[in-house]
Amino acid sequence: MTAVAAQKEGTGARILRVLLTQRIALLAVLIVAVVVTFFIQDAGGYLTASYDFDYMSASLISAVPLAMLGLAELLVILSGRGGIDLSVGAIVSLAGMVFGFAYGEWGWPLWAAIILTAGFGALCGAVNGFLVSYIGFPALIATLATYYAFKSIAIVINNQEPISTAPIQKLFSISKSVELPLFGQYVPDIPLGIFTFLLPTVVAVWLLLARTAYGRRLYAIGTNDVAARWSGLPVRDTRFKAYVYAGLLAGLVAVVTVGQFASARPDAGVSGNGMALPAITIAVLGGVAITGGIGRVAGVVLATLLIVWLNAGILLAFIGNEGSQYQLLALGAVLVFAALLNGLTNRRYGGTS
Amino acid sequence: MSTVTATIRHRVLPPRLTGQEIVLAGVLVVLWAALAVSTPAFLTAGSIQPLLVATAPIALAGVGMTIVIITGGIDVSVGGAIMVCSVLTAKALVGAEVSLPVAVLLSVAVGGALGLVNGVLIAYGRVHAIIITFGTANLFMFLGLRIFGSGTVNGIPGTLAFFGRGAGGRTLGVPHAFLITVLITAAAWWYLRHTAGGRHFFAIGGDAQAARLAGVRVQRRVLLTYLITGLLVGLASCFVIAQGTSTLDQSVGSGKELAVIAAVVIGGTSIMGGRGSVLGTLLGALLVQSVASGVTQLGWRSQLSDLFVGVFIIVAVGADLLRTRARRSR
Amino acid sequence: MTDEKPRLRLTGIAKRFGAVRAILQADVTVRAGRVHALVGENGAGKSTMIKIVSGAETADTGTIEFDGEPVRIGSTTDAIGLGIATVYQEPQLFGELTVAENIFLGREIKKAGRVDWAEQNRRVVELLERLGLPARYATATVGTLSVAEQQQVSIAKALAAEASVLILDEPSAILTDAEIEVLFGVVRRLTADGVAVVYISHRLDELFRIADEVTVMRDGRTIGTHDIHDLSVRRIAELMVGGILSDERPHRVVPDGPPVLELDGFGRTGRFHDVDVRVRAGEIVALYGLVGSGVSEIAACVYGIDRSTAGALRFEGEPVSPRSPRDAQRLGIALLPANRKVEGMFSFQSIAFNISAGHLERFSRFGVFLDRGRERSVALDLIRRLAVKTPSERQPISAMSGGNAQKVVLARQLVERPKVLVLAEPTQGVDVGAKEEIHRLITELAEEGTAVLVVTSDLPEALRIADRIQVVRGGTTTEEFGPDASQVDLLAAAAGGTA
Repeated sequence: MTAVAAQKEGTGARILRVLLTQRIALLAVLIVAVVVTFFIQDAGGYLTASYDFDYMSASLISAVPLAMLGLAELLVILSGRGGIDLSVGAIVSLAGMVFGFAYGEWGWPLWAAIILTAGFGALCGAVNGFLVSYIGFPALIATLATYYAFKSIAIVINNQEPISTAPIQKLFSISKSVELPLFGQYVPDIPLGIFTFLLPTVVAVWLLLARTAYGRRLYAIGTNDVAARWSGLPVRDTRFKAYVYAGLLAGLVAVVTVGQFASARPDAGVSGNGMALPAITIAVLGGVAITGGIGRVAGVVLATLLIVWLNAGILLAFIGNEGSQYQLLALGAVLVFAALLNGLTNRRYGGTS
Repeated sequence: MSTVTATIRHRVLPPRLTGQEIVLAGVLVVLWAALAVSTPAFLTAGSIQPLLVATAPIALAGVGMTIVIITGGIDVSVGGAIMVCSVLTAKALVGAEVSLPVAVLLSVAVGGALGLVNGVLIAYGRVHAIIITFGTANLFMFLGLRIFGSGTVNGIPGTLAFFGRGAGGRTLGVPHAFLITVLITAAAWWYLRHTAGGRHFFAIGGDAQAARLAGVRVQRRVLLTYLITGLLVGLASCFVIAQGTSTLDQSVGSGKELAVIAAVVIGGTSIMGGRGSVLGTLLGALLVQSVASGVTQLGWRSQLSDLFVGVFIIVAVGADLLRTRARRSR
Repeated sequence: MTDEKPRLRLTGIAKRFGAVRAILQADVTVRAGRVHALVGENGAGKSTMIKIVSGAETADTGTIEFDGEPVRIGSTTDAIGLGIATVYQEPQLFGELTVAENIFLGREIKKAGRVDWAEQNRRVVELLERLGLPARYATATVGTLSVAEQQQVSIAKALAAEASVLILDEPSAILTDAEIEVLFGVVRRLTADGVAVVYISHRLDELFRIADEVTVMRDGRTIGTHDIHDLSVRRIAELMVGGILSDERPHRVVPDGPPVLELDGFGRTGRFHDVDVRVRAGEIVALYGLVGSGVSEIAACVYGIDRSTAGALRFEGEPVSPRSPRDAQRLGIALLPANRKVEGMFSFQSIAFNISAGHLERFSRFGVFLDRGRERSVALDLIRRLAVKTPSERQPISAMSGGNAQKVVLARQLVERPKVLVLAEPTQGVDVGAKEEIHRLITELAEEGTAVLVVTSDLPEALRIADRIQVVRGGTTTEEFGPDASQVDLLAAAAGGTA
């Protein structure tokens, strides 16, 4: 059907179709548009500071938690049957406190504390996965409940006090920027968190989804879980693990967040807007279908870059906290736009890829 | 035949109370009794009245959310909508010194407009409600924060004291905010049970396609649910202003959407649509607030109440899951 | 009593879907107060006829007269306006609403702005009493009723709009004997009131208890209407299959040997019982039964989707009880599901994805990473072997025709060379060319030594490919036939053929 349509349509229609059906292409074009717009604004002197490659690179530090949680949502939304995780922010808070105790108070070595924190995040995810996959709770309900539970425990566990002992404060160094070896002098310095946390995570999740048998199973159960059962796939086990992995990623984000704030804050992942809402937004913007079975790592990463660089530009275009307000506008408008586009695409071309 | 018809007339609909509502009422009674025993101060007007006032906005927004969820939708923009309505109304109270009816009308109109935006996008954009409302949640928060400008709204006059915690907010000891909430809940309960329009909400949640074939105007009805939610959020925002001090800060409305959804879910409304009760939502909201109040009065950390909310959700929905499973295997 | 006036008369109806000519020439006259049975093999054109009468489809040629007046039925609304009501196999009801609400949904009786429950209930009770159904249904929630009760409610719903023609599409397929009695009671009351009933069924024996006249369809044509008193089950079967003999098929020699798959007194409570089947290596055995005979449930139990509750399942002589499809697969049992779209296809995924699903351990290195090269070569190999028409193994399966998609799902079952292959309705919704190819493939697989069990409701299919045919009726295996059996004998055995 698509092949027939392609023969008849002109170049313009073809570009439109590619932009609408290939989310990656659309995001790439939007990123270029955003960056070019701010470069022009910068050249015209409308910005409060310079929007250049150094600035764009430095702003990547906020991409670390956003993309990692976006990938966590990718995993659970892919698993289908209304998969979603509202509790990732609360897990970040709680796992952050665990990290705070282990590294800041009990004096564990850093690597051990990180493993403990990630494992603890996975354990929290396992609670979600058990409720959703083995008991049959709707994901929205189960993760709403655990959101409240984890959030509450995180605050109560240390009497509402943050942990910011000396070792934790020194951790701030992980959010500083570094010069790349060999050709580093020719390109901007890049935040260390990108290399220590984000890149390994992106590669790992990409490998998991695109190159492992587990990834195949996840796409299969998300596409059609009845057919998956009739094909002999372990449907429950696969869905359960998606939530465990999401929890594990939230645990890693907890470490990053503690480092960024130089303090383990009991409300780190739930204060204000929380972390779950932006993460889900990033996933949807990245082309993940809320019905499951469709979505790619590249989409989530590009969606993160779009939002991060858009937000970075907005901060320079407005004075004071107006910038952070307009970031909300941008996020909301982009999400509604993307969602309506999905609706349109489904009607006109029969789906996104 | 006439005898059959006569007995049928007595039971024209499913039972007035669902099992979930009876259980919830039972849990509430037990909880109140336990709290009364452990902290003598609990069963006093000074403790119960603020509890009811605090329940009102959640339960009121919950009425709209219940209808939305019955049709198979959801609205996570309630928190943002509360922020917009309350800050706008607060500014009008401070700046223009508007009267109580004008303030209420303003807030309800603004809430209705926001609900309309959601409704149009969801009913005619054919996109899943959760995605659209995640988006509008951000937009509403932007609007709210813009109106706040920087900082807080200070020196709000006592115009809305009629809905507040003070003596002016009560008649015969019953807080007006709670009374209004109960009346609106009762009206919604009657509407959902006894009118064609109300029943159509359930049909849409059960099977939207089949409802369309049966002649239900699905898109319009769906739009209406978000509009209703918006209007009720507008009124709930007045309650929020009234129960605070003379200052409104930027955290207003934050996280309220989840609190409202929690009350609805604990009240026995199925997130899959087609089944639910506004009465359950009122009881759910009351239960959540009672626990919050009880936790503080027992001298525990107030945030511990969230843990109970999580447990309640799991227990309420889990019991429902087991019931459905038992019924299916029968 | 054939002097009743015609209520609905269809003359010279023809309908084609693209290249497929669903109905070539059909004439049917339905009379008031009579039960008119419409019978025919799968694909004979019955369901298209129903769709034309109920307004879901429009005929290409032909005329429709209602009470002697020519009418046009262009939509379902037109049909309902004329008083033609259709009850489909699957009840379309709202589970959380009461029966009365379901019946009046969208056209509620109102009094002062609110629904007049008392009046609605009164009318529903009247309606139920007219149908001879319990009045307590009126206020019951539909979700709490059984499938049979829901079907009765569907009939009541259809009749609430003052229908004068009622079409029942295979109503008995999902019912037990006792439930069928209730259904017949309802139908008899309706005809006594002058309603014309069109009754579609595969169960020929029951026609003698309910129908007044029978129209037989074969290959898109109506081949005559007969008074039921002039017919027998055998005679109807003969009319349905026509004079055509089974296709010539090469004689296969099945190697002797112990059975690979053995069902012995196999049963599942409420579904089927005392099923005895033996399949040897290299043998093709068909389980032939009508929809509702329990034949599809047997396949699901062998494959571990459901658990059996009685008897034994033996694999290579050893008793086994697969708890899941995975268990069955590990033993070497593969199954091609009957409902391709729901149980078979991963729709927006590629052909290679669809083939390798369920065999991922085989395609992975260290049990973790996917060996995409091997996946591709196996997929290409199977695409070639099964003659799947596609430019690339990366095409999504949703873009393919029914026959090609079915081949892809079949390819998935062949990846691990199963010892037992169960095929449920292997050629349902598949075009003629692909059907031939799939049959050829099944024979080839048997030649290679696979024990094949074909579960089918397609009679020519059973005769064409099977070495032995076991008829399933009323939830159990009854007679066994060889490949030389006549279609009439088989149909008579499956459809209730003591007559």
